[in-house]
Amino acid sequence: MQLIIDEKTCDRCGTCISVCPCDALLLTDVLTVSTKECTGCGTCVAICPVQALSLD
Amino acid sequence: MSQHFDIAVIGAGPAGSTAASAAAKAGKSVALFERNEQPGVPVRCGEGIGMRSLTAHSEARPEWILQQITGSRMIAPDGTRVSVADIDKSVILDRERMDGDLAKDAKNAGAHLFVKTAVTDIHQNNDLKYTLETVSGNIEAGLVILADGVESRLARKLGWNTRLAPNDIESCAFTRVTSPLIDQDACIFYVGSTVAPGGYAWIFPRAKGEANVGLGLSGTHSNAGAAKKYLMEFIDRELPGGKQGPLHCGGVPVTRYVRPLVRGGAMLVGDAARQVNCLSGAGIAYSLFAGNVAGTVAAQAHSSDSINYTHLKSYEKQWKIRYGKQQERSFVLKEFVTTHTDDSFLNTIAAKLVKKRSEKIRYLTVFLSTFSRHPLLMLKAFKLFG
Repeated sequence: MQLIIDEKTCDRCGTCISVCPCDALLLTDVLTVSTKECTGCGTCVAICPVQALSLD
Repeated sequence: MSQHFDIAVIGAGPAGSTAASAAAKAGKSVALFERNEQPGVPVRCGEGIGMRSLTAHSEARPEWILQQITGSRMIAPDGTRVSVADIDKSVILDRERMDGDLAKDAKNAGAHLFVKTAVTDIHQNNDLKYTLETVSGNIEAGLVILADGVESRLARKLGWNTRLAPNDIESCAFTRVTSPLIDQDACIFYVGSTVAPGGYAWIFPRAKGEANVGLGLSGTHSNAGAAKKYLMEFIDRELPGGKQGPLHCGGVPVTRYVRPLVRGGAMLVGDAARQVNCLSGAGIAYSLFAGNVAGTVAAQAHSSDSINYTHLKSYEKQWKIRYGKQQERSFVLKEFVTTHTDDSFLNTIAAKLVKKRSEKIRYLTVFLSTFSRHPLLMLKAFKLFG
């Protein structure tokens, strides 16, 4: 499972980061995911208000 | 060689800028980091606050206030409208302007404002000082105040567990709407499972025919893109034909404040500390207060040759007395509301309240109606409020 971030839809609000159990997400000027840390649990996908995240 | 400051503040929202101002005014060298280009942009807030709290915790400018609110209405799932007289003279703020001014105040007080500067990592060194890794190099600081918002990621790097469970966060979407249907003087709240499961939708007027319109869903009721979907349906239903501005989103923590608020030479303030009223989602007043106290206390504790770490804890004590207990009550009520109420229960309360005169509806009335069916919770509540 890999997390896909739709940069155009992402509003950079950081909600996903606050629920990530693995601290796999980082927000600078864009949102990025550490593939090493991410377990593909999907908590961030469920919490994202604008559907910018998906699992592949 | 890296730059050194007495106190570093991460995040130039109301909590961070207020903290930086207070510390800089006390003569400390202060760095204030903001990852966006302009503090307060984009606005992620309904922009409502009580006038009393605003003036108590900030040097409010008249330009910050867009609209005076004279009352509010709650709309029950069956459409019953309950009017509530405004007891705390609520106002709608221009957060973009306010946040900009607060950051400017910090700068004028002597703080060094770094914009477009995300802090990516933080750690405490053997000499107890902190090293902050930023996109434009390392910074050292004796004390740090973390005001990095709902994500509260840096706190985790320093040993706090600030991770939120899905029922501790509201997934929110909001936009600005222009429509002739908007009532200029009243804030309107809509509750119910079809409007916003585990949360509420709101319309906060900014001007004639213009309002912030948003909603929050409990994280446990959320799925991918749900907040946006519910918001679009809500606007189509309540403000049909309304013209929408850009869509923004955000998460509102609805949990207990983080304990401890101070760890070593680091302090948490604002959304990062989960200092938010769990029933309303309001956090501006809490943030202004916490930022001011944290900045003041940090400056008192810091001197060039030593740092009084014990003194930092007085921030947590002051917070607990002024707002911490209030937040605790809101948390208990939120837990009750989300676990024990459904649409028919909300309709029953609305039917009871609608018979009363609006000035008579105070928090206590709402509270007692809510609790009259749950004697055990009533006992618990008396303990809390007593």
